[in-house]
Amino acid sequence: MMNNKTWALTKVLIKNGEGLSFKLNTKKAWILFIAIIGITIPSLLFGYIKFIELIYHSLATINQQGVILSWGLAINSIMIFIFGMFYIISSFYFSGDIENFLPLPIKPKQIVGAKFLVTVLYEYLISAFIFLPILIYYGIYESAGLLYYIYGLIVFALIPILPIAFGALIVMLIMRFTNFSRYRELFKIIGGVIAMFVGIGLNFAFQSFAAKLDQNTIGELLELGNNSLSVVTSRMFPTVRWAAQALLDYKIANGLTNLLIFCGLSAGIYIVLLYFSELVYFKGVVGLSESSARSVVLDEDLGKLLKKNSVIKSYTLNELRILFRTPIYFLNCVLINIIWPLFIILPLLITPDDPTQGDLSMLLELLREPKAIGMIIGITLAAITFIGGSNGITATAISREGKELHIKKHIPVSYRHQITAKVLAGIVLSYIGVVILILIMIFLYKLPWYLGLLLLVIGILPTILTSFTGILLDLYNPKLDWDSEQKAVKQNINVLYNILISTAAAALIGVITYVFKSSAVLTIISIIVLISLLDLLLYYLVYTKGTVRFKELEG
Amino acid sequence: MLLRLEVIIVIYLENVSKTYSGGVKANDQISLTIPSGRIFGFLGPNGAGKTTMIKLITGILAVDSGRIEVNGIDIAKQPLAAKKQIGYVPDTPNMFLRLKGIEYLNFMADVYDVSLDERQVRIADLCRRFEMTKVLKNPIQSYSQGMRQKIVIIGVLLHQPSVWILDEPMTGLDPHSSYVLKEMMREHVNNNNTVFFSTHVLDVAEKICDEIAIINKGKILFTGDMAEMREHFRKNESLEKFFLELTHDEQ
Ligand SMILES: Nc1ncnc2c1ncn2[C@@H]1O[C@H](COP(=O)(O)OP(=O)(O)OP(=O)(O)O)[C@@H](O)[C@H]1O
Ligand SMILES: [Mg+2]
Repeated sequence: MMNNKTWALTKVLIKNGEGLSFKLNTKKAWILFIAIIGITIPSLLFGYIKFIELIYHSLATINQQGVILSWGLAINSIMIFIFGMFYIISSFYFSGDIENFLPLPIKPKQIVGAKFLVTVLYEYLISAFIFLPILIYYGIYESAGLLYYIYGLIVFALIPILPIAFGALIVMLIMRFTNFSRYRELFKIIGGVIAMFVGIGLNFAFQSFAAKLDQNTIGELLELGNNSLSVVTSRMFPTVRWAAQALLDYKIANGLTNLLIFCGLSAGIYIVLLYFSELVYFKGVVGLSESSARSVVLDEDLGKLLKKNSVIKSYTLNELRILFRTPIYFLNCVLINIIWPLFIILPLLITPDDPTQGDLSMLLELLREPKAIGMIIGITLAAITFIGGSNGITATAISREGKELHIKKHIPVSYRHQITAKVLAGIVLSYIGVVILILIMIFLYKLPWYLGLLLLVIGILPTILTSFTGILLDLYNPKLDWDSEQKAVKQNINVLYNILISTAAAALIGVITYVFKSSAVLTIISIIVLISLLDLLLYYLVYTKGTVRFKELEG
Repeated sequence: MLLRLEVIIVIYLENVSKTYSGGVKANDQISLTIPSGRIFGFLGPNGAGKTTMIKLITGILAVDSGRIEVNGIDIAKQPLAAKKQIGYVPDTPNMFLRLKGIEYLNFMADVYDVSLDERQVRIADLCRRFEMTKVLKNPIQSYSQGMRQKIVIIGVLLHQPSVWILDEPMTGLDPHSSYVLKEMMREHVNNNNTVFFSTHVLDVAEKICDEIAIINKGKILFTGDMAEMREHFRKNESLEKFFLELTHDEQ
């Protein structure tokens, strides 16, 4: 199944800068790396472990602490699935390197195999953040033996396979049928969006199906004693169940059986994926770089096409056009903004038939309680901060210029204006995400409209924050030497940095919300003051250090 | 009337050096004065340092040491004013591929602050001469290499810069387009403006230039007109071989 060509191709892809590779060749880059990773990761990890601790010990009181493993695995799989989907669409269909492979005597399954493996490697990052701490925490508190950790390592290595393969199958199927001759690129983008929704929808359909099925059995299972609940929670992603069982029963033969089943299934789905790719991959990928849109301009019509704008407006529009028209940028910078807010619809989709019943209606009630106002505002602003930080628009704004940066150096537009235009593009798109989020909250969650309005106004502050941090990061550490757009945004460490920084900022907002939970007014005012101060500080840094840095960059 | 005859120094370089971070000394103590009313050719083999010098003049790179002035404006001190003097055509025309031709032209006109009336006249004229009007609404990605080069040339000439700087402008153009470009270069200098372009083909330099400079390994070997160049190389035996290589280049 893994022949030499697939392996060779994987190595080429990795060496060529796909996957995790990033270089830190300057001293500045090292300082940045150590500062960001060194500060954010330990503090986020600390908070996360506190959270694990809480869950573990409350589960332990009902002797169900093993559930934490299957929950961890399930959440991990969903995250991998969603991020994997973005990665697969970009890497399988929109990365420039496919053009180079097509003339070579390589089979589709070898390209797909290699790109699949690179994706798996990339997703280990997610597992390292979400699953690994749980695995280790559980191991330590259960005084697990060496075998547990060996099983854990195997599970860690194989856990991304199912969600990524599942995502890849959906994507390949849809891309096969969106291959229209004209506007091919446009249809591919739409196809990618559809694939994403189909995938997420299917997941939740499975889940709610499993939930309904199990509602009656939960009580029985609970009586069975230790860790029996985990069977239920792991229905979301089928292989999670065996993986969790293998870890729970590592001491007995049942553990080994489950581990073997898990390994077998993962290998199986990989092989299915390869055979499937032989059938559909090339048909979906050939001719992607062709450009269509033929329309003839006559001399007399020329005047109508001319339009004068201010430099900043013209520049910002240009940035937006390029973001929207380049599939890779569209998926990773624009679409991700819109996808995040849609996540909060999902709980609505999986509620039982009667919406007045159950946890959700309780939540809806809670949202209308006056004392919850501070909490709603705090959590929403934290979410906005996180969403703005994860879109990577400003964090790749300089990197996206790549080898064309020289144009921006010789046009007579001051670096200050250029930075402003790039930040504006980031704020505009982030703010679209904010608007969608708040509209959903007003119309689906019955958030009072005046709170919505208030959030719309305050919501601009975090988008400014994350746009400024992004551009600063990218000015200090741009990735200019790339040959496919994929590398400018997907393999750009600045995006990760900005996600970490914005997560930390979101956590800070969370802490403030918690500290001032007795007074909504106090919560809102302290958050506004905090973010405004940070915005001002960043404004100062961007327009002093940032402009100097732009000047120093060599195109 | 007297002014017309006066030769002004348009591009002025004084002891300009540039070393890349990799350690390559691409420009070494270059001094050069380029007057108005001339087509000035910059000739040298691959890797000689032509592109590097053009990037220094256009403000894309910063000099390690030395001084550069364009129309008397120091590029380091007043970068925006200096950049407005220049129309620069880079050696690779692959840029703004996701934009339509007309969007690119509008962008360049906005950047250089060209009024609506002016751009109407200029775009119509340049697009007609280069036969590009028809495809203006198509994405630049759908253009051929030569068409991309032409749209870039049109874009940088919209603001009627007095100094044209072109890096290897003839490569990729068909005979008609390169004839049009040469004709435009000549018209431009006839109005007492300046054209500065690089090439590694002696033949091209010979046919269009009023004056040339020869660069090799980051150093200027010669500046003067064609007749002076032949004389110069005949006298220096060590340089003759180098000259023959350049001549050989054209085949
Ligand atoms: N970005 C860069 N980083 C490091 N070295 C560079 C860079 N660009 C050019 N060089 C080096 O500088 C020297 C001069 O290069 P330059 O591009 O100026 O040559 P050129 O005369 O324009 O050549 P050509 O005719 O091939 O265009 C070469 O040795 C080249 O390897
Ligand atoms: Mg060159």
